[in-house]
Amino acid sequence: MSTNEQAVTLEVNRVSYAVQVPMGSNLSGVLRNTVGLTGTKEGCDDCECGACMVLLDGQPVNSCSYLAVQAQGRQITTVEGLADGDELHALQRNILEAGGVQCGFCTPGMLMSARALLDRTPNPTDDEIRIGLSGNLCRCTGYAKIIEAVRETAVQL
Amino acid sequence: MFPCTADATATLACTMKTFVRADGPDKVTGSGRYVADLTLTGMLHAKFLYAGVAHGQIDRLDVEAARAIPGVLAVMTTDDVPDHRYSPVIPDRTLFAKNIVRFEGEILAAVAATTPEIAAQALAAIDVAITELPVVNDIEAALADDAPLVHEDWESYDVTGDTIRDRNVATFSAIEKGDIDAALAGAAHVVTSRYVADASHATPIEPRGIVAQWEGDKVTIWTSTQVPYDARDGVCETLGLPANRVRIIVPHLGGGFGGKCGFHFEAHIAALARATKRPVKLVFSREEEFLAPDRRREGMIVDITTGLSADGDIVARKAWVGIDNGAYVADAAFFPQLAAMHVGGPYKIPAVKIDAQLIYTNRQPSGSVRAPTAPQACWAVETHTDELAAAAGLDPVEFRRRNLVRTGDEGIAGQIYDEIGLDQCLDLAVSAMGSPDLPSDEAIGVAIGWWPSFAGPAGAYAKMHGDGTVQVITGAQECGTGAVMTLRDIAADELGVGVEDVQLVYQDTGAAPVGPGATGSQTLLNHGRAVESATQQIAEQLRELAANELEAAASDIVLGDGVASVAGTPAVSVPIADLAATAAGGDLLLGSASAPMPEWPSVSARCVGDQEMASWLAPQFSCHVVRVQLDADTGVARVLDVQAAHDSGTILNPIGATGQIEGGVMMGIGQALSEITQYDEAGKQRNPGLLEYKLQTIADAPTISTQFVEIFTPNAGPRGSKGLAEAPNVATAAAISNALAKLTGGPIRQLPMTPERVWEHLDARRGSDATEVST
Repeated sequence: MSTNEQAVTLEVNRVSYAVQVPMGSNLSGVLRNTVGLTGTKEGCDDCECGACMVLLDGQPVNSCSYLAVQAQGRQITTVEGLADGDELHALQRNILEAGGVQCGFCTPGMLMSARALLDRTPNPTDDEIRIGLSGNLCRCTGYAKIIEAVRETAVQL
Repeated sequence: MFPCTADATATLACTMKTFVRADGPDKVTGSGRYVADLTLTGMLHAKFLYAGVAHGQIDRLDVEAARAIPGVLAVMTTDDVPDHRYSPVIPDRTLFAKNIVRFEGEILAAVAATTPEIAAQALAAIDVAITELPVVNDIEAALADDAPLVHEDWESYDVTGDTIRDRNVATFSAIEKGDIDAALAGAAHVVTSRYVADASHATPIEPRGIVAQWEGDKVTIWTSTQVPYDARDGVCETLGLPANRVRIIVPHLGGGFGGKCGFHFEAHIAALARATKRPVKLVFSREEEFLAPDRRREGMIVDITTGLSADGDIVARKAWVGIDNGAYVADAAFFPQLAAMHVGGPYKIPAVKIDAQLIYTNRQPSGSVRAPTAPQACWAVETHTDELAAAAGLDPVEFRRRNLVRTGDEGIAGQIYDEIGLDQCLDLAVSAMGSPDLPSDEAIGVAIGWWPSFAGPAGAYAKMHGDGTVQVITGAQECGTGAVMTLRDIAADELGVGVEDVQLVYQDTGAAPVGPGATGSQTLLNHGRAVESATQQIAEQLRELAANELEAAASDIVLGDGVASVAGTPAVSVPIADLAATAAGGDLLLGSASAPMPEWPSVSARCVGDQEMASWLAPQFSCHVVRVQLDADTGVARVLDVQAAHDSGTILNPIGATGQIEGGVMMGIGQALSEITQYDEAGKQRNPGLLEYKLQTIADAPTISTQFVEIFTPNAGPRGSKGLAEAPNVATAAAISNALAKLTGGPIRQLPMTPERVWEHLDARRGSDATEVST
């Protein structure tokens, strides 16, 4: 097995983790099972639901379909890295206050896509919000309160 | 939108203008744990081997080679568990396939191994030979005279209740009222139509997971279920265990929508954990989530004939409903009667004969998905209603106003309704949409819907600690709606303390009294009343303590804002925390209650094959009005705007309630336009994945506006509330259908109304128009 494994250093939420990963391992699995950050969710293993969305150098990526070894040398941001210590990020606060969280399983991925959207488009139109989050499925909310939260965050930031 | 009135019943809604759910910070930071996030020392990984064929005879199932693989600690088949058939009403199911497989997702074997990869190797090493049998692939095939039987032994099953069966008809129910033949013969207009709905799926974003661990003769099972007590009872029944040795814990649940109701795979994993003496974990892939659970939303055929008077009054309705049950009944025995109620609809109809059959096929079992039977039946009936309006020469809204049930009217099964607000829902939603000037590619559609409230046994414990903080222990299950979170507010309101002073213990059958779980929109309805009763016991104790302290009568003590005070003289008060400290040294502040059961209304219609679904406690009503745009070149429809008005009684948590409407509407749009489970000739699903099974995305989302008709409803939930979470899923597809009928020249009659079907419908219309022009 060891010949199939590789030592990599992953920079996750500004912390370095030296880990051994099988060559074929996807990033979401390594984040969840090896690094021990389970905030990133797995809903389909096929790039369809967006629950596993993380940021790689600021760009949203479905981590279920991205090899862990490819993430070496890149800044990985997961939902655990969104808050500043105990201080929630405005997106986290607003999605809670708007009622945009129900079961919460899509929420980490949704937040990461929203963060990437606002980083590149600080004042998005509603259509830009819809396009920016269209890779994240939510079955609970009907999306209305999520749009509201992103809109409100753009005003605040 | 939510006025605070002087009515004492509305005080809670006033306090809940803001609502930040208690489990929210956990969910937005990633610290919240779902089952798939759990790891126990020594934990093994489980996988299932599925039949892979829809109907077959098992000739060989040899697991010896799989057992010999290093790292494989157990391989189980039906030979390794008690020989027992289970399921409520019709016990037709076993944990593992025994001799016959009846759908492709039937479990042949379960493996526990040190890694998921080794478990997969073990599955591949199992030697299986199955002789395929003729497949009963749809409703009509199942009803053919020479149809193979899905259950050859159906007559030997030990069924309960007033359950009528015949060969592939798993259950039959009928609702009959008045002289149907005479009423139809005397009708001025008679309209007959057929509507066919395909199956769909609940599709929670979290695939289910289970972890089981034994300690001596007790097992703890962490599982993503909506119904912890049903899961516990299923484990007890199938493995022969007493109730107090099985503890079900649900960490955060990643959605359910009915798909995670019922007892599913907990016993398989508990059995593997017992055999290996190790914790065992199962996490489903998305494909398994589509194929294996017995909770598909049922396909349906509705044949409906309605007679009208010359003035446009509905005088008679005769209908047949065929429901695709799939291979096992699971919880679906009541579907025919419930579907019959929906095919009758919330209308005044003096003569009714509606027959409904739940029909075995070799497909995945159907089960309760959000408002089971209702979206499809409502789609059929409300599409039909627009056809009736046209036959009567009336506007569809006027036709509905003329025929819908109002306060004091008799419903389809002869129930007389107390105060209800369906007429107000219709007026509110229609006027909110208004009459905008529409371009030629847009149209407005209207539909009304209804749904019962369900009462069931539910208990709660409450305790106030010596520092005045409160713990409420409830059997309620949070599936995302926020209904359990709202129980904190009820407790705080009863005890006069801040909501932040109330913590919940929930989703643990080892700690909390029994409850129905997150099913039938009953969390607040039942658990809310239990929490009310349990906390009222403590409030009584506090009033006695305060009465002593303040030298006043207990009946004059008011609890609020953290203090107990004398009514009328708020300055005479004592902090509740001081009272709690006193109590901590003597008579403890404890509450324990079972929710009082409401009285079920009586019905006068003849209910054949009664499954207790004709008497509707605190019925909920809704009207959805939608504006739809159609690209006639491609058949792609887009919903632009939705106006929803709902009567769900008093609204306790406005943010949570509008969230339910918006989510239900969106699910309804998916059912209307994109969500379809397709089958091949061999009875296997063709699209068990999220790329091919299309949920609506945020880019598809319309604007959704919600209005509530708040009628205080006694004999229902706490503070005059009814159920809420399923009702918004009922009428949306129907309203879209009526808009599309206007845009395409007639109803489409197939659900979902996919672009391909819409285009074919348009093309056929173009063809018929061309024929008319040429003649």
